[in-house]
Amino acid sequence: MTQELAIAMDGTPDDARALVVVFLRGGADGLALVPPTGDDGYHRARPRLALEAKETLALDARFAFPRELAELHPWFLEGRLAVVHACGSDDETRSHFEAQDLMEHGGATIAGGWIGRFLRSTASRASTSPRGALAIGALVPESLRGAPSATALRSIDEVRLGDDAGGLRGALGELYAGDELLGASARDALSAAARIGELVRADPRPEHGAEYPDARAGNVAESFGRELALVARLVKARVGMRAATIDLDGWDSHFVQGTVVQPRMRALSLGLAAFARDLGPGLDTTSVVVMTEFGRRVGENGSLGTDHGRGGALFVLGGGTRGGLHCRWPGLEEASLVGPGDLAVVHDYRDALASVLARHGGARALGTIFPDRELAPLPL
Amino acid sequence: MIDRRAFLIASGGACVATLGACGPLDTLVGGFAPADARFLAPESEPIDLVQHVLARCTFGPRPGDRAALLALAPGDPRAAVEAWIERQLAPETRDDDAAERAVRRFDSLSAPVAELYEYKPRVLLRELTSAAVLRASASRRDLQQVLVEFWNDHFNVDSSKGECAWLCAAHDRDVIRAHALGSFRDLLGAAALGPAMLWYLDGRVNVKRRSDERPNENYARELLELHTLGVHGGYTQADVMEAARCLTGWTVRDKTGLRKARVEFLADAHDDGEKSVLGERFPAGGGERDARQLLDLVARHPSTARHVARKLCVRFIADEPPPAAVAAVARAFERSAGDLRATLRALFALPEFRGDEHEFAALRGAKLKRPFHYLVSILRATGAETDAGEELCAYLARMGQAPFQHPTPDGPALEASAWQGALFWRWKLASAVASNRIEGTRVDLGALVSRAGGADALLAHFLGRRATSRERRVLVADGANSPELGLLLAAPAFQRC
Repeated sequence: MTQELAIAMDGTPDDARALVVVFLRGGADGLALVPPTGDDGYHRARPRLALEAKETLALDARFAFPRELAELHPWFLEGRLAVVHACGSDDETRSHFEAQDLMEHGGATIAGGWIGRFLRSTASRASTSPRGALAIGALVPESLRGAPSATALRSIDEVRLGDDAGGLRGALGELYAGDELLGASARDALSAAARIGELVRADPRPEHGAEYPDARAGNVAESFGRELALVARLVKARVGMRAATIDLDGWDSHFVQGTVVQPRMRALSLGLAAFARDLGPGLDTTSVVVMTEFGRRVGENGSLGTDHGRGGALFVLGGGTRGGLHCRWPGLEEASLVGPGDLAVVHDYRDALASVLARHGGARALGTIFPDRELAPLPL
Repeated sequence: MIDRRAFLIASGGACVATLGACGPLDTLVGGFAPADARFLAPESEPIDLVQHVLARCTFGPRPGDRAALLALAPGDPRAAVEAWIERQLAPETRDDDAAERAVRRFDSLSAPVAELYEYKPRVLLRELTSAAVLRASASRRDLQQVLVEFWNDHFNVDSSKGECAWLCAAHDRDVIRAHALGSFRDLLGAAALGPAMLWYLDGRVNVKRRSDERPNENYARELLELHTLGVHGGYTQADVMEAARCLTGWTVRDKTGLRKARVEFLADAHDDGEKSVLGERFPAGGGERDARQLLDLVARHPSTARHVARKLCVRFIADEPPPAAVAAVARAFERSAGDLRATLRALFALPEFRGDEHEFAALRGAKLKRPFHYLVSILRATGAETDAGEELCAYLARMGQAPFQHPTPDGPALEASAWQGALFWRWKLASAVASNRIEGTRVDLGALVSRAGGADALLAHFLGRRATSRERRVLVADGANSPELGLLLAAPAFQRC
């Protein structure tokens, strides 16, 4: 299990808005995440896998969360969690690699990733001492390609300046004092280093009663929780982080789906709910997007699993999003399925992302971020 | 220097994995200068000509580079500089075994273009990036390496677009490295009809088979705006459209069929009507000759001479180069019909470049190294042993300049304003290298101090001049006989060239 966390930082502490993108790799089953318990087609297509309404937590008359997502249910009811169903890309290959690649680039054969273009096109240029992207972080995902600065990290220690950071900062401050070209950006970098230093020394415990999942909740949940806790610390410390990505792998549930999907849904639910609580009021300026490369075949297969499909689910939590269910449900009747029996993609993932990016200073750059789509942003 | 064999054993992992392939002595390179020779450091307070030329025309002086330059004309530094420049302008006369040994383990570098598809894109990008760092560090053809970076930026291709994931390796080798110090027209032609550029700027889908089909203008626009005339070079939208028509039908086979990556001209996809570009007529029925005529036309256009000259001056002279210098370099470009050696020879003779007249003295040591330059200059100045592995190269993305990953066709900026913000990661790199925290990269400060002949000489080697009293106080602790290497590499003077 690899879970990668990558972070882009921009050194602007005043810019408090942070975008957190959780990518569910392997094609997460949208009908498992948000079962359409009120649709007869669902029960017909999945005689062994379908959940009965009474086993679920209702979102409305047709849709529900499975119990594995229980901790997210209150956030939905409070209107701070948006669920977009029948959401996906125009990829028809149903190939993990192709579909992830397309989605992370934000379109076919575009250079750079969508988060990279977002960061680049909204980087502060007005200041005379451009605050270049101060990036923190192992593997940078394709979506961050082309970011002004991006790196992957596993712990805060990797972004400390050094063991004797105080002495080092003093010496650097002296060397750079009065430097016409670099003096201002040196001061920025030194203050960012100081904030990171404080962050390292600060109490790492979550706030507001939040409890991230520990080993009792399983390895997947523990590891996901640890990464979210790190992101939360960075958000709260206002070190200028503008975007972070986390991969939650292993959703490719061809065989006995429950054993694959259930622990991951627990991880998602426990992790995100703890993160949201931990941030407290900071959640208003932090958007969490949960997305996957495609949903899965509507009909279950012979081994209690599902195969690669099209439409899936996308979540947005916090950041001022308008919660609720956003979906023009195409239905699960034979005639409304596409290809070998897949939920149609009614909502393009970019129309959801556009609404989020618009709240992160990207409103005027949407054409640059998603150049090959005529966007129709969803009212998230 | 640390014993290579011992170091290999200690560092484990990636290095050991390559042992079988090429033997222990080839997996690390370093000591990019003769390990026994004591090296000379600059002695004057202002930056002298030798230091200046080494700083600008290479990725930074290695231990021994200054001594080797001065040895070309003992007792006459100016003559030695001239001789050094001439040798650098004739790279084919200098063997480059050290650099080629350094990259021999990367077999993708010599793979025929169609075989590149057998590699995973991540592997290719990693090998290409490591090779760029190792060659820039170890090469004796220093200036050529600088020009390779310059032209890779000018003819930018991003490995994240389509099949550029595989083809950018061919772009670097067959387009850029093959022509970096040759003729601009040859370079332009190789880029224009190379498989990577045909993918990157959509030339491969620029077809006209039906009367209502519109050409794809992407490449034609960047050809005029970025690669040749420049944005204010005097072309119109109509010229862009007509240039695109000239190039219709030039395409590249993709990875799904036979003859992968083969560039071909499809006559039935070419718009064979009459065209007019920049006032020049392209008669109907030109077929594949249209492309050649177009590239000839734009390569010899006076705006191209000015555009290329200005960029070269920004790289070698100043972010805002004196207009007279740009004009002089443009004249040399035009007179030599785009001979890059003649053009650079003229540039290196300019007082604006040399800074030996009072008026231009402040230009010495005033340019900010870009991240790639900075990282390579650290390896060179310290004589580091390095495998240029992933842990080291990750700093390039952190500092904002990952090779072959710039998304937009303008390439990474040459000017300081684009880079001065990412100091934090430069300092992190400085500190990580100095404390030998990067796997696969080792520096030996004690050996450097003794070879330099003391802390002051070593300071001058890194700073490019004698240290100021403030620098000495901050960089050398009381009573210490060697500088704080991490601080020295982080110092503002070492950020510049």
